[in-house]
Amino acid sequence: MKTKKLFILWAILSTMLISTSQVEAQENDISSQITLANEFYHEKNYQAAADIFEKLIDQGETNGFLYYNLGNTYMRLGDTGSAILNYLRAQLLLPRNENLDANLRYAINQTQDQLSPSRGGLIPSLLFWVHSINLIEHFEILVLLNIIFWCICIGSLYYRKSLWKSLKKISMAILLLAFFSTGIKYYFLSKHKIGVIMDKKVDVKSDHNTQNVTLFELHEGAIIAVNQEESEWVHISVSTDKSGWIPIKSIDY
Amino acid sequence: MQNKPKTKLQSWLTVPAILIFIFSPVMSFSSNIQLSASVDKNELTIEDSIELSIKISGVRNPPTPKLPPIKDFIVRSTGTQSSTQIFNSDMQVSTTYKYLLTPKIEGNFIIGPVRMNLSGSNYQSESITVTIKKPNPIKPNENRSVYTETSISKKTPYINEQVVYTFKLFRKIEARNLNLSMPYDESFFRKENLGKAKRYSRVINGIAYDVDEVSIALFPIKIGESTIPPSMMELDLIHRTQTNRRRDPFARFFNDPFFGDVTQNKHKVLSTKSIKMNTQPLPKKGKPSGFKNLVGQFSMTAKVGKESFDAGDTTTLTFTVSGIGNVMDVSLTDLNLGDQFKIYPDQPIFTKSIHGNQIGGEKIFKFALVPFTTGRQTISSISLNYFDPDKNDYNTISTNPINLTIKPGTGTENLNLVQSKVAPTQQNGSTISILARDILPIHTHVEDFESVVFDKNRRIMYMVGFLLPTLIYLLAAGYIRYNHKMNDDMSYSRRQVAHRKAMKKLDQLSVSNPEPKDFVRELSQIIREYIGDKLNLQGTAFTSKEVGEKLNKNTFADDKIFAIKKLLEKIESMQYMPVLVVKDHCLIDETAELLMYLEK
Repeated sequence: MKTKKLFILWAILSTMLISTSQVEAQENDISSQITLANEFYHEKNYQAAADIFEKLIDQGETNGFLYYNLGNTYMRLGDTGSAILNYLRAQLLLPRNENLDANLRYAINQTQDQLSPSRGGLIPSLLFWVHSINLIEHFEILVLLNIIFWCICIGSLYYRKSLWKSLKKISMAILLLAFFSTGIKYYFLSKHKIGVIMDKKVDVKSDHNTQNVTLFELHEGAIIAVNQEESEWVHISVSTDKSGWIPIKSIDY
Repeated sequence: MQNKPKTKLQSWLTVPAILIFIFSPVMSFSSNIQLSASVDKNELTIEDSIELSIKISGVRNPPTPKLPPIKDFIVRSTGTQSSTQIFNSDMQVSTTYKYLLTPKIEGNFIIGPVRMNLSGSNYQSESITVTIKKPNPIKPNENRSVYTETSISKKTPYINEQVVYTFKLFRKIEARNLNLSMPYDESFFRKENLGKAKRYSRVINGIAYDVDEVSIALFPIKIGESTIPPSMMELDLIHRTQTNRRRDPFARFFNDPFFGDVTQNKHKVLSTKSIKMNTQPLPKKGKPSGFKNLVGQFSMTAKVGKESFDAGDTTTLTFTVSGIGNVMDVSLTDLNLGDQFKIYPDQPIFTKSIHGNQIGGEKIFKFALVPFTTGRQTISSISLNYFDPDKNDYNTISTNPINLTIKPGTGTENLNLVQSKVAPTQQNGSTISILARDILPIHTHVEDFESVVFDKNRRIMYMVGFLLPTLIYLLAAGYIRYNHKMNDDMSYSRRQVAHRKAMKKLDQLSVSNPEPKDFVRELSQIIREYIGDKLNLQGTAFTSKEVGEKLNKNTFADDKIFAIKKLLEKIESMQYMPVLVVKDHCLIDETAELLMYLEK
């Protein structure tokens, strides 16, 4: 009986050890690939660097700096559309990174249409911090505020004083605001799709057919809002009064 | 009072019956269900419209009939009429669906049968033949009650030149429900509205007409021939016919159009002729370099917010371009001030305005300027080229140069901005020139590249972060409430500690070595104290019979009461036995078991 228990313990420990070492090995491999890609970038071998960054993203690596570096690499390769797309993806994860903001601005300035990403409507303008905090940070802040709120609740059970009651009300208001803010962020990320024009020039049609009237033209790197997808076409809008259909192959989002 | 249930039953039966009667679409009063279609006229001109009536009789609330494909007409529903007639106790119901058909082209057309499916049976009407003729040619001096005209300001405009397209409706009778459609080819033109419709009176051949005029500005965006398709005006003409008032004393008495006039509505669709245009390219001769497709008449001014300011401070340079034409297309990007100033451009503001019958406006460009150097600086003149279609020539307008005086800062701080490569005027500072702009470098801290995914582990962590504090709060609240009750409610606290206290005393009794009589008394005392605590009783002087009554009052189960009475009687009998009993562990165990049983 004792031997059996020891065997089970040994098996669990060895499995944990193996899995930990596998994770470490995987992390080391990713780090070495990033280092290699960065070296390729510094050696001006931009295509090789882009291939490694793209491969890592395809493997499921999600990191703001990874998208940022890929955006820089595409800028060096002269692919402004892909660069802007990756900068925008990076911005979702690194909303307060100044280098990223500067490079995105620079890339947008290089485009013909010079369209900046939409900041949403009235509610995101009122909740001004929503764009400066990414979704994971929103959730972390929410959890932290939740813990603080319940701690204050427990405190108010022990110390039945008006100060604790006021603290409870304030923390509850902040928690509700954080809930609302996180909901808005989540809604915008899931509903408000932003795309980038990849072709040199795209005719924006009045309906999803090449025979339809061309309403206006967009050029590579133009940032647009993607509203609806239908067969091989997507409905996009640039502003409240400028919208139309473009082929799906001309855009990435 | 006895009739009440009967009345209730009647109402229960009557109400659904009425509801079924009203709403059931298949409830027919006559087995003869008929579907017929008719029009108010079979021959009409393309300017007129016909009313198609589809009558369904013999059924209440029939389904909407299915119209045949009528692609050569614009079809608009004008409503539904229902009627119920009773002749000699025979009820006849009918529903009429009405549609207005406006022809698109001339010719003979067959309006196919209208179909309806009702409870699996199909009904259909007869086909109707309609002839659409050309409108009668209008003679120059003919007295027409309503007609339309369209015109354009120029038939051979230059590309981007403003063309005013005007639609006019002349009418001498009242018209309602006016609906104008002015289509244009969006691939050839960009459209701008020229304000609201104008209404005025005009006398033509001695007849006064009310004129409604609508204009739009079209900017040709492609060279070559193009056609502006016909505009269409849909309207209802109100014909007023006077009744014979002489014979009607009431009408004469009131002398009011409301009582004397009979109005008749006539739906009309008036279409204009298409207009051909030939858009010309701008002349190559004399085209200035940097020309940006501006066509019209423009003027430009420049001003600065302040002409004298301290180093490190900013001033606002404002360019205002105004005029008639495509002002909205003006762009000012090449200021050539990059060597002297750091420039922060603002978003241009365009304000549209109407000048006579032409569109124009004002576009304001603002730039915040931060000088690189101190001293006297000059903002050189800025030029703008445009093509003037009236003069058939290119024109260049320029702003006046603006002189600025930049004073050194009041403190000792030197200017540390990126400095001009032209004028290194600083006495002791290093001079840096902007040669080019570039992106900022890649991120190289490998430890920052950890993958950030909203994965399962993270979700579990957040769930724990949400639920755990709530759980802790509930536990804490429960504990605090328990403590408060223990302190405030004596009976509750006695009840809560009764078992623990009794068990503790039993343990003490089992390890001590008392006299046999004391042992039995002690045991009896423990049980009585337990009951006293449980029932919140003062003192322990009660017999086994009293215990039974008190426990019964407190809704203890009978078997529990019997067990405790039995044990107490046993202990009492032992207490008064002549033979002394030694300490009995079995009795302690029995008591402990009984207490455990009572706690359940």
